[in-house]
Amino acid sequence: MLNYLKFSKDVLGMNSRNLDYIRSFNKKRAKETADHKLNSKKILKKNGLKVPDLIGKIETFKDVENFDWEKLPKSFVLKPNRGLGGEGIMVVYGKKKNGNWVKSDRQEVSIQDLKNHILNILEGNYSISGVVDSAFFEERVKILKLFKQYSYRGIPDIRVIVFNNTPVMAMLRLPTKESGGRANLHLGGICVGIDLNTGVTTTAITRNLATQQEFLIDQIPFTRLSLSGISMPCWKEILEMSVKAQQVTGIGFLGVDIMVDRDKGPVIAELNARPGLAIQIANLAALKYRLKKVEGLKINTVKKGVRVGRDLFGGEIEEDIEDMTGKKVIGIFEKVTLKNIKSGVSKEENAKIDTGAFSTSISTDLAKKMGYDEVVKIFDSYDSKAQIRLTLEQAKKLTRELKEKYLDKYDVLTNILIVKSSNGITVRPKIKIKIYIENEIIDSHATVHDRKDLKYKVIIGRQDLKNLIVDPSRIKRKNL
Amino acid sequence: MKFMNSFIQFVIEQGVPRETVELMLMFPIVATLMVIARQVVGVKAFGIYTPSIIAIAFLSTGLKYGIFLFTIILIIGTATRLALKHLRLLYLPRVAIMLSVVSVTIFLVLIIGGYFNRTGLASVSIFPLLILITIMEKFIVVQVEKGAKTAIFLSFETLVLSVLAYFIVSISQLRELMVKYPWIIFLIIVFNFILGKWTGLRIWEYYRFREVIKANKR
Repeated sequence: MLNYLKFSKDVLGMNSRNLDYIRSFNKKRAKETADHKLNSKKILKKNGLKVPDLIGKIETFKDVENFDWEKLPKSFVLKPNRGLGGEGIMVVYGKKKNGNWVKSDRQEVSIQDLKNHILNILEGNYSISGVVDSAFFEERVKILKLFKQYSYRGIPDIRVIVFNNTPVMAMLRLPTKESGGRANLHLGGICVGIDLNTGVTTTAITRNLATQQEFLIDQIPFTRLSLSGISMPCWKEILEMSVKAQQVTGIGFLGVDIMVDRDKGPVIAELNARPGLAIQIANLAALKYRLKKVEGLKINTVKKGVRVGRDLFGGEIEEDIEDMTGKKVIGIFEKVTLKNIKSGVSKEENAKIDTGAFSTSISTDLAKKMGYDEVVKIFDSYDSKAQIRLTLEQAKKLTRELKEKYLDKYDVLTNILIVKSSNGITVRPKIKIKIYIENEIIDSHATVHDRKDLKYKVIIGRQDLKNLIVDPSRIKRKNL
Repeated sequence: MKFMNSFIQFVIEQGVPRETVELMLMFPIVATLMVIARQVVGVKAFGIYTPSIIAIAFLSTGLKYGIFLFTIILIIGTATRLALKHLRLLYLPRVAIMLSVVSVTIFLVLIIGGYFNRTGLASVSIFPLLILITIMEKFIVVQVEKGAKTAIFLSFETLVLSVLAYFIVSISQLRELMVKYPWIIFLIIVFNFILGKWTGLRIWEYYRFREVIKANKR
């Protein structure tokens, strides 16, 4: 109970968000920039950030009459300039022969319907605090194949919270059937937490539409599509864009909404000066703790901000997977300790983790140093003899001979195999060796190879990786 | 009467109804109740104004008829909205039609009430009726923006808050106290000032973020 109260201080609540962050870090002008979509689009574009292209805008009732409707492309998005929470946005994805467009909910819209909708927008029916508004058309972002299976009709976006030029938390928002193809949580969309370092999704939530209560989910409702483990494309670029968006707009506590276009890559769809708090539940991580952690840090470049954010707040997914499976997550290159039980010699080495190889192998040099020299020498002598390449028949015969002669003689020698490689056929020994990776102790039978030309003296094959999970994106983490 | 603050006494002697004075003095308390409900507990309802004004309306209509009218107005308003949905009208004319339908319905209710000799209903004055009718717009806006389910949930919260406020305003001892010491209002202002600077989690948020707090991975 006491811990509960203590840890609850790390959570960002509505009162604190409004007073400590929005009031303190988002100046009125900066907020105006975010709320005014046309304006923020212009600023972002001017500073070299990608946004969906503007097709046209309508600011007055006169514009509605003078607008050249036939000029509109087959697909577009109609938005209120100062809309709130995704209200009043119309997505059109095709045009029929009769001149009508088709909305994302398959309903037809005529020019008259468009006009009506725009008049509603101009009157301020969708705008923040109901003030007169303008409407604009922009290009429709084309959905990425990766995201297609996860979203219903609409296009998912990635929300990144940026504070002090550092990305602090992120989530993927998916449009669902319940939300009518919109990605907003309060309409029934799904939010999926993203590990800041790897860009891989972790936990997911959606909301009960009546009570607006969030609850955790594993899969998209009524499907078997798992929501965790989805890897965000262009992750680094997305984080860099988010930080840059903060730099150019001056919004201190900022939510950046990014969509990934099939052709253009990530584009900034919207800026939000009042980002919601549910992102904490989607990530199962407390935001205030993170904000406090980066506050006051000196971050002067985009790259540094991204690096700090990834380093400080990444890595959850590994703990998660370890919790779930009880298996440790390792990278492709890891420090391992090898031990010859017989001689007692142990050595620390950089190993390459290779799930493509079946068994583990070590270099002859290393084997010799570790007290396997007697065994290795036998094969060395054969190797030098075998300047003339062995045929498969010869190799088989040799293996049989060697097995009879040495297998019982040496305790550490467990097997003798024929290895086919681009250099021809060789006969190699397998030796008993203990391997320590992270906290795992593996009793391995390693093949001894001549690996003089290779960078890594030790390659760990999948036979020895049964109790570990390999994450290729985790490169040399321990050595950084 | 003798414990009355002299300012209050003066105002009443000038002909301002005592009821009006009392309600004026109680309104800050009602408003503060809404602030606590929102900032400390985390109940959303329809903002601060709507539940407060409904509570005052309930005082005039009586709780029974108040809740009855509140429910009827929301049901009729929603039904009208759904009926008008496919006609694709502009917003304001649409709301005007809804208000008209609700007005006619209330009129019918009054007629029926008169027929069955429900004098309580007939004696309801126009202003609380208007208050109840105008909250319909708020309700419809929430329906359009956040969906019917949310709107119903929020109206339920609003109703609960209004009833709570109604009971508080009905406490005669509290009324006496305010009439005796109207300066309490300044204490209420100070109290609201403190609430305005308060950045702690709302009670509801302890529940909302329970998984986050439990996970506490930072």
